[in-house]
Amino acid sequence: MTTTVASANVAAAPPPAAGRTRDRWQFWGRMLVLPYVLVFLVFVLYPVGYGLWLARHPSSYVRLFDDPIFFRSVINTLIFLIVAINLKMMVALLLSGFFVQQRWWIKILSLIFILPWALPSIPTILSVRFMLNPEWGVINSVIFRLSGADGPNWLNHPPLALGFAMLMHIWKSLPFWTLILIAGRLAIPHEQYEAASVDGATTWQKFRFITWPSMRTLYVTSLILSMIWTLGDFNSVYLLTGGGPADLTHVLATLGIRYLRLDEVDLSMAAIVVALPLVLPLVYFMMKRLSK
Amino acid sequence: MRWKAVATEAKLLLIGIPLFLWTIIPVYHLFLFAISPRDSATSGKLWPDHPTLQNFAIVFQRKHFYLDHFWVQLWNSVLIAVAVAAITLLIATSAAFAISRLKVRGGRTVLNLALFTYFIPAAFLAVPMYKTMGNYGLLNSQWALILAMVTIASPYCIWVLKQASDKLPWELDEAARMDGASPLQLFRLVYLPLMVPSLVAVGTYALLLAWNEYLYAFLLLSNDTSTTLAVALGNFLSADDSPWELLMATGLIYALPPAAIYYAFKRYMVGGLTAGAVKS
Amino acid sequence: MASVSFRDVAKSFGHTKVIHGIGFDIADGEFTVLVGPSGCGKSTLLRMLAGLEEISGGTIAIDGKVVNDIESKDRDIAMVFQSYALYPHMTVADNMGFSLRLRRADPALTAQRVAQAAKILNLDSYLHRYPRELSGGQRQRVAMGRAIVRDPKVFLFDEPLSNLDAKLRVAMRAEIKALHQRLKTTTVYVTHDQVEAMTMADKIVVMQDGRIEQIGSPLELYDRPTNLFVAQFIGSPAMNVVSGTLRHQGPQAWVEGDGGARWPVAADAPGSDGQAVTYGVRPEHLSLAGPDASVQAEVIVVEPTGAETELLVQVGSSQIVLVLHGRSTVQPGDKVGLAVETGAVHLFDPASGRSLAAPSPVSRAA
Repeated sequence: MTTTVASANVAAAPPPAAGRTRDRWQFWGRMLVLPYVLVFLVFVLYPVGYGLWLARHPSSYVRLFDDPIFFRSVINTLIFLIVAINLKMMVALLLSGFFVQQRWWIKILSLIFILPWALPSIPTILSVRFMLNPEWGVINSVIFRLSGADGPNWLNHPPLALGFAMLMHIWKSLPFWTLILIAGRLAIPHEQYEAASVDGATTWQKFRFITWPSMRTLYVTSLILSMIWTLGDFNSVYLLTGGGPADLTHVLATLGIRYLRLDEVDLSMAAIVVALPLVLPLVYFMMKRLSK
Repeated sequence: MRWKAVATEAKLLLIGIPLFLWTIIPVYHLFLFAISPRDSATSGKLWPDHPTLQNFAIVFQRKHFYLDHFWVQLWNSVLIAVAVAAITLLIATSAAFAISRLKVRGGRTVLNLALFTYFIPAAFLAVPMYKTMGNYGLLNSQWALILAMVTIASPYCIWVLKQASDKLPWELDEAARMDGASPLQLFRLVYLPLMVPSLVAVGTYALLLAWNEYLYAFLLLSNDTSTTLAVALGNFLSADDSPWELLMATGLIYALPPAAIYYAFKRYMVGGLTAGAVKS
Repeated sequence: MASVSFRDVAKSFGHTKVIHGIGFDIADGEFTVLVGPSGCGKSTLLRMLAGLEEISGGTIAIDGKVVNDIESKDRDIAMVFQSYALYPHMTVADNMGFSLRLRRADPALTAQRVAQAAKILNLDSYLHRYPRELSGGQRQRVAMGRAIVRDPKVFLFDEPLSNLDAKLRVAMRAEIKALHQRLKTTTVYVTHDQVEAMTMADKIVVMQDGRIEQIGSPLELYDRPTNLFVAQFIGSPAMNVVSGTLRHQGPQAWVEGDGGARWPVAADAPGSDGQAVTYGVRPEHLSLAGPDASVQAEVIVVEPTGAETELLVQVGSSQIVLVLHGRSTVQPGDKVGLAVETGAVHLFDPASGRSLAAPSPVSRAA
């Protein structure tokens, strides 16, 4: 059978030069990739290994499970993950359709929309924290002026506090994921929608038969990745509620730090290790998707 | 037909207006607080009766003990952010070039390992990182934070740069090789100039990441004079009667550079950073 | 002296062998064209000569020195790529002088060589422009200028005209040919376009499936193709080909095709009576004849090109192309007779494709 020679003029990249010269290029390749490899070994591999080693005492886990705060944290984390992430991604999907509309005011809005992501967490989260202050925060002041009654002590009710932490997280990370999904939407050829219009499709049908099939992979990948990163969102909870009231809104991310500050390093690592069963399946799915 | 157009606009506005409010309120509130004098900051009005820049003056003159080291800390933030951006650029560009253009053996593996870093939630990596830095004797040295942030920023930067590199035509490398270029000459004279937009995007990303970082700075730098402005802001929370309006003013100062930089380099950011998201 | 020789050169990608033991020589100053359909291996062969692909087997020598293990930049060759491969961030002058700059040559010398090359190629006024500001033809010239500045022993061209429109291609062909006549550098040129091969080459190497089909001067290949592939590949419009049986009856010989057509053959044509053959005749060796000609046809399409008229006619189940000088009054649907210049007829063995008149295959690699 005749073979098609992959001429280098076509997209595929040819292997580097002939013979001995290849070694020279490989040598430099290794030299140039070395700095990162060193960084990885020293600051990722070693800490991870060391952390796992610190978490080796079974007694840590016993103490961990005895701590009621721990279970509360796990549940909070799960709620955070399931509710916040899905809500966020669905809104991002909706907004990705919104922002591709051509309007002058939408363009301006898209510039403003990026702010939560571009701005640092501390000022903005603290700003919200102050808005929620029961005595002098803006929200309660407005409620008082409108109804004469005192507004609730927002951050003192664990469910409300956790809810606001989730809202804060969504506020901060929504722009990033919306951008990603917008890129996904823009990759869909315009002609497909035009053909569908001619065929008489409604907006919902266009979404179901054109948009969603094209975006599905990106959406799910983003969802999984977002879950992994949200597990590590320290700022939203810590800066808003501090884990309170009474350590009731801790998530696993803040719990680890809490133990650290109490000088209970092994408990801290144990908490993180226990979180692994949450993380690893997600990582597994991610690797599978990325290798496709 | 007109009624349909109106309905569409109405639907869009129905999304747009709440979105605008949702986005801007925390930011506006921050701004509001910063320009309000102490007493009326907490009044709950939409615009202060007596807007003032007094708070900023107090911050700049360090007239409160929380702000003793404001300038030093601001400088630290700048220094660390720039260092992180520079070092990350250096490391990531070299690695991306080696993996994408030189096709170094094991390049794919290195890339996968790098991305693996992101599969460890940052807060989880923080604790072992803290202990590790202690072991290395780097705690309270700014290098600890710089290197930690470089570690966290690099994988994404390498990924983005590699995707962008793959788009450069292969004939350029071949032509350069035929012209007699050594690997380093290829890197310096052909590759780097053509990668400038991506480099800007990636450098800005690393800069902002380092500037905005709280947790790692908080853990790794406890000394008031060596820590960043972010941590200093967090310290305000330790007391109940802290001068909140000063905090917000400082916060606003702290928040301005990233916003400015992002908007200045917006052109590079969006294209560069989402390049890896969609593989055509 | 810059000769090039290929000895038993082979190439495999993994387990797939794409070039099978190719050997031939190129003399100093010769303009050699490697031509063939896509996938025949011509570009791969060129790239092996350039040092951009590893040589799996055999040797390639430039000027008598084997270059298998020598890096591209030390082979003293220069290459013009299909997509020009100009450095987008450098001016025309910088592009052309890049190789000298890499060797840390004296800037004055570099400028002088660049100016010289620019003069030859009429690029003087473009030296400070960037590639994106140039047209396709201008970019092509810059690519050539880059090669000229190197002053190499061998020029390599990898389908350089493929990205240009038809008119520009014709103009550039002449320019490249003129350049070669002026510089007299050994040139190896790869193309899939046989017209380019015919007009530019001193010697043509026709390739298919990683093997050489025939080597020879353009007219040699045109007039004496040694196999059916070369016969049909070279020449445009392509040679007409009909299957039939050879008949020798006394002094007369013909080939019986389907539909009762008797295709005339020279009396001394090779082959025996009753032998199955493939009959080949070029469009320009056919003309119109009367109703008593031994081949009758029906006109399907008439294509006047101004100086000539192309006719597409039906003979039995085959479609035959004729090229007539000047104008014709023939209309589609007309029944015409065909006359053949029997001296220009080619007979091929249907199984192997080899010409019955060809000598033993000296040029065909195993």
